[in-house]
Amino acid sequence: MALVWRTLRSMRTALVLLLLLALASVAGSLLPQAPNSPERVVDYLADHPVWGELFLRAGFFDVFGSWWFTLVTVLLFVSLVSCLIPRSRAHWRALRSRPMQAREIDAFKRYAERRVTAPPADAAAIARKVLRRRGFRVAADPTLPALAAEKGLVREAGSLVFHWAFVLLLVAVVVGKGTGYTGQARIVEGETFTDASFNYAGQLRAGRFFDGDHSGAQVTLIDYRDAFGDTGVPMDFQSEVRFTSDDGATTRTEVIRVNHPAVFDGVRYFQFGFGWAPVVEVVRNGTTVREDAIPFVQRQTAPEGVSQLAMPWNGSVKLPATDDREPSHAIELTLWPDGRALAGFVQTGDPIPMTTEFDPVLQYTLWEGTLTDLSLAGLDTSGMRRVADGLIGADQTVDLERGCVVGIAPAEDRFGTACDPGAPAGLTMRFPDLRQFTVLQVSRDATVPYVLGAAILILVGLLPALYVSRRKIWVRADPDGAGSMLKVGGFALQRKERFEEEFAKLVDALATATGGASAHEREMVGT
Amino acid sequence: MTPLELNDTSNALFNVALFAYVGAMVASFAFVAFRARALAWASTVVGAAGLAANLGAVITRGLAAERFPWGNMYEYSMAMTLVVVAAYLVGVELTYRIRTVGGPVYAFVVFTLAIASLFFYVPAGPLLPALNSYWRQIHVTSMITSSSLLGIGCVLTILYLLRDRSERRGVARLQAHEPPPIMGAAVDTELPPDYVPGDDDAPAPSPRRIGLPSAATLDRLAYRFISFGFPIWTFGVIGGAIWAQEAWGRYWGWDPKETWSFITWVVFAGYLHARATSGWKGRRAATIALVGFVSLLVTYYAVNLWIAGLHSYAT
Repeated sequence: MALVWRTLRSMRTALVLLLLLALASVAGSLLPQAPNSPERVVDYLADHPVWGELFLRAGFFDVFGSWWFTLVTVLLFVSLVSCLIPRSRAHWRALRSRPMQAREIDAFKRYAERRVTAPPADAAAIARKVLRRRGFRVAADPTLPALAAEKGLVREAGSLVFHWAFVLLLVAVVVGKGTGYTGQARIVEGETFTDASFNYAGQLRAGRFFDGDHSGAQVTLIDYRDAFGDTGVPMDFQSEVRFTSDDGATTRTEVIRVNHPAVFDGVRYFQFGFGWAPVVEVVRNGTTVREDAIPFVQRQTAPEGVSQLAMPWNGSVKLPATDDREPSHAIELTLWPDGRALAGFVQTGDPIPMTTEFDPVLQYTLWEGTLTDLSLAGLDTSGMRRVADGLIGADQTVDLERGCVVGIAPAEDRFGTACDPGAPAGLTMRFPDLRQFTVLQVSRDATVPYVLGAAILILVGLLPALYVSRRKIWVRADPDGAGSMLKVGGFALQRKERFEEEFAKLVDALATATGGASAHEREMVGT
Repeated sequence: MTPLELNDTSNALFNVALFAYVGAMVASFAFVAFRARALAWASTVVGAAGLAANLGAVITRGLAAERFPWGNMYEYSMAMTLVVVAAYLVGVELTYRIRTVGGPVYAFVVFTLAIASLFFYVPAGPLLPALNSYWRQIHVTSMITSSSLLGIGCVLTILYLLRDRSERRGVARLQAHEPPPIMGAAVDTELPPDYVPGDDDAPAPSPRRIGLPSAATLDRLAYRFISFGFPIWTFGVIGGAIWAQEAWGRYWGWDPKETWSFITWVVFAGYLHARATSGWKGRRAATIALVGFVSLLVTYYAVNLWIAGLHSYAT
């Protein structure tokens, strides 16, 4: 047990643990990580069945959440603390004790003697003042005209501050992540999101000790705005939102932008993403079965060199049958927020980034058959039959089963598929409006200020720990005629080459203050 | 000048700087090989001219893009070589009067610029909104400065390892050929540990002395640069975390770039600790510094190009 303790306390162990942490991080950066990119983990498992299985078992797809990463962190923590406690105690003792006297001053690495005019007692008193002025801690010998001095204890103090701050950082990070949560809110213009666990649709990432206590605040998206440069380079994303507290007592309007988050009720909201949400009205046999804005996603990743903004947006409407004898329907939708991009793509094949709404077009496909999944996720058409497809512009109505536009003369229609007048439509869809939605990252992390404080302390401690050196000086004044022989010895524990110069200057200062010759004058006399 | 002209001026100055650095590198290597003082001066003068052109390239680039010119890999490389050469000229040549290590330092700079111009060139333009924060200025500036300083430190460490090996071999050869003197009155075959060329008490440079500085000097110089760069790296990582908190809503998310900057931090922290641990000083600590250098290069190049993440400039 004592051996285990001793091993943990050694600097070498802490070093090895630190390097292990780095090694584990290398694995975490090279393999896809489930919390960051689950879809890439799935791809990896499909591509490398044997290794993938092995890595999965060992927790390599969530390195930073794995038991062994936690173990190394905890061991490092224990090792650090067990090393720091005795060091802190020793430093406390060093701070309170006075510099130790020495007898054989001439045995030190640096040593000088000077003949001065002041008598020994006066010389010692003056030397004391000189050293004090230079920031040394000085202790006078009770029996002799001699003193001991030291400087640079702040090096050890800085080192201790640095290491304790590192411990504090570890604790604050673990507590903050453990008791907080992060999720994403998708809000269509004019709609409201409530910070409650069921609204995150299983996408919430909560810490191990999170008690499920959300703020319950309501977030209404008043307006979403964005700006793009000439080549489709994004310039700005803004969400104007109104916050309302759970009890309705406080409301506040804020504009959330990239790099400008908002805080409400202890929860932070960040601009994270955006998208298009067409409003779709579906009527079946005279009854409106669906009338709302549907947030679309981009399923296609842009090929290399093409802006993602050039890709269309995808969504679907699922219409389960009201009667078992009837088949279910699903409408697969593809949105081109800028109709010119679709026209351009069809004519030239060149993708054009769509940054603003302009003559939007929806491509639709009607499917009939059995719906396997009624969730908001993607559409599975494996058990379905394609009925019809076509295009629909803003504010038009289409007959989905026949795939033609209702209520216009054939000459008026840009897509050339006007319905024959008079024939009744069983299933129609209207596209009255195109809105945008914003994606806000919602997170609560109570220890952020502590993490910041610890990080600042790490820096504050690091500077003296690296740059201050510890120096010790002893001075003795022996009687020498009417004056005295001033003997100065000392050494530095760090930055030894710098100390040589400092020591020479110090000896000079001590000699001139006690009525001796400076090095310069000595040289003059010598020549 | 119009932004387009400024952009072209920047490119021209970039090329001038690159060729000047190549010249300085050649002169510096030639100085070590032929030991003619004039070559050392030529290296310094051409290197300083390259520095001026490099500075001009960075400034005109910033004017062309109407922002601080470190928004992509190309600009980052350019700013990094600026700091490396400035730190080398001031920190090594001016302060310590050591002029024999310039070749490898310029080689590092030339590689960085050549890679930047071959693979990373993009015309000056505006930035993504996520990069638009004053924390970016702070974070990126300190990352550029610290990686430059750590980079020089690592070049010096490589030289230290080479020099240390040749010194050991030299000692071994001397010990093998000379009969051991009686009563321990040994010929001092090792250089004194405190030897710094340019010191008052240092022997006047004889032609034989114009080689690499002693291993001890190189080791100490490398330590200077690394211990100077490390707190700045620490500060840069903290600044990055603050920026991440503002931009992405979390100060740390194990994004590949974050992970690798942490790895680099840990390795250099290991180096600093190793130097203070008995039994790890010298070659072992130097090896850790080299691992740190590799990690630095991965953080800078590999993460941006091959590992997808929020810092990826590849997309």
